[in-house]
Amino acid sequence: MVPLVYFQLLSAALFIIGLYGVMARRSAVLIIMSIELMLNAVNINLIAAASHREGWGSFVNFDGQIIAIFIITVAAAEVGLAMAIILRMYRNRATVNVDEIDLMKW
Amino acid sequence: MPGLTDNLYLLTPEFALAGLAFLVFIIDLLLPEERKDLLGWLSVAGLLGVVALSLVMLPGKEATLYGGLLAVDGYSLFFKVFFLGLGVFIILSSIDYVKLHLNHPGEFYGLLLFSILGMNLMAQSRELLTAYISLELLSFSLYVMVAYALNNAKSNEGSLKYIIIGAFSSAILLYGISMVYSALGVTRFEGISAALSSITDLRPALWVGLALIMVGLGFKLAAVPFHMWAPDAYEGAPLPVTAYLAIASKAAAFALVLRLLSEAFVPAADRWDQWQIIVATLAALSMLVGNLVALAQRNLKRLMAYSSIGHVGYILAGAVALSTDSLLGANGIIFYLVGYSITSIVVFAALIAFFNATGQEEIPDLAGLADRQPFLAMAIAVSFFSLGGLPIFVGFTMKFYLFTAVANAGYLWLAGLAIFTSLVSLYYYLQVIRQMYIQPALAAPATDAADGPGEHPPAEPESEHTHTPSHHEPSGDYEPLPRPSALLLVVMVLGLVAVVGLGVYPAPLLELVEGASAAILPGG
Repeated sequence: MVPLVYFQLLSAALFIIGLYGVMARRSAVLIIMSIELMLNAVNINLIAAASHREGWGSFVNFDGQIIAIFIITVAAAEVGLAMAIILRMYRNRATVNVDEIDLMKW
Repeated sequence: MPGLTDNLYLLTPEFALAGLAFLVFIIDLLLPEERKDLLGWLSVAGLLGVVALSLVMLPGKEATLYGGLLAVDGYSLFFKVFFLGLGVFIILSSIDYVKLHLNHPGEFYGLLLFSILGMNLMAQSRELLTAYISLELLSFSLYVMVAYALNNAKSNEGSLKYIIIGAFSSAILLYGISMVYSALGVTRFEGISAALSSITDLRPALWVGLALIMVGLGFKLAAVPFHMWAPDAYEGAPLPVTAYLAIASKAAAFALVLRLLSEAFVPAADRWDQWQIIVATLAALSMLVGNLVALAQRNLKRLMAYSSIGHVGYILAGAVALSTDSLLGANGIIFYLVGYSITSIVVFAALIAFFNATGQEEIPDLAGLADRQPFLAMAIAVSFFSLGGLPIFVGFTMKFYLFTAVANAGYLWLAGLAIFTSLVSLYYYLQVIRQMYIQPALAAPATDAADGPGEHPPAEPESEHTHTPSHHEPSGDYEPLPRPSALLLVVMVLGLVAVVGLGVYPAPLLELVEGASAAILPGG
């Protein structure tokens, strides 16, 4: 079995890439995609931890997988909402570049 | 552990609330456009029904549902009734606004009901995933409601910023949950506290995980330095939604944080000492930044946003005072949440009435309001004095309890800072009051005050001066505003009575609050 720490490293790397994307991308759509990367990092972490559960006693613990399924569902809804709002933004302002979305500051 | 479905009936109020929300969505399809305000009344009636249902069914019940994911106890009952009541008042003050300024009233009320359901579940959840799902039920409704003015660029912008930061903070929170889960194998609050107090070799993963959870919740609370979304979302949102964001969503986030801290962190006493420093830092930063930046604001919604960030700082300071052997901290927080919410409802009802009459929301627009509509000016003045913490209003009582708890816990510097920043906050509240009472340069002498329900902050000569309406000397060029609608008047009068009543005689509420906090901190 692949050791847990490899999964955790993969997950951390994905999370950092997502974090970087949120900071560096200028298009709102790409920011949302980066957030999706972060959420997928969470899922990898959870599922890996749940399948390496032997250290925690005898009873079967599926919490990790269940949480991952919930996160996938919630993330899908979140993207739907975010895209609707971004579309609205595009129709009103003809841009989704977050640098130009600056009506309100401070 | 009881069977999973043995006591599902304890969730009847939640099922009823969800049913009510769907009912509103369906009836919305059947009503003609001009009758849609009936939906608001239906929601209010339904919410009152759910309050009655919870009060009949739940008192004295102590149970956990779904194998410990949800708790039915005094704490959740208190917050359930509190949130439902807030919902009633928010809907009452938004019915006129929705009719005048917003399309799609049915979805507005439906989403509001769903978000109240989310808030109720947040106060009940004792497990991280359950807490997260309830939090998202609240947040998703709020994202849509902030964007509700579809063709208003500011509303779009506020909502976009809100959803991006909200999704980002959810990802951070979830990563924290996943690290705690992989380190401990539990996500239940009592499991976390058991692990924290028994574990000897602290893995850094666990600390990072818990810290990420705190960061994620910090975003939801809008605590500095995670507050940058709040002013924009507040300013962009339609006024009733701003009110809802400032009052209810904040109270719900604190209901969740309070349960998380007192069930997962506080029982692990020696680790809690280390967390206290972090919470205290967040609290101090929020007080300072919120209140200082508020000084520079011109827009009323933004002012309220920064002022609410300051209040988050005070409440977090109360969270520092949580401990297993004293209920003072928890009592202070819950009482503060109630007092702050009631006072803010009065502010926002007055602002909504003002916006309905004029369409304006900048501070300079309020000039001369004391002449144009004395009651509105009085309502804003009283509630701002209360928020600033002047005696006889609930704002003084709540700050007194909270800061006493902080000082008793040994954090004198934090209590001192809280008092200092309260004084700073008085400055920008008085700016608004000056705008309303003095600005049009009337030659009205400061006569004996004859405003409102006869209550006054004693001492504070400046406030007494600004407090005096000069309705007997109408000098020239102002035009009176139309009276606020009866609905808004009712909300404001009830709110003002509560602001003064709880300020003078808080004992009955405190008794309820003590019952609530005893449920989450049994050691006290």
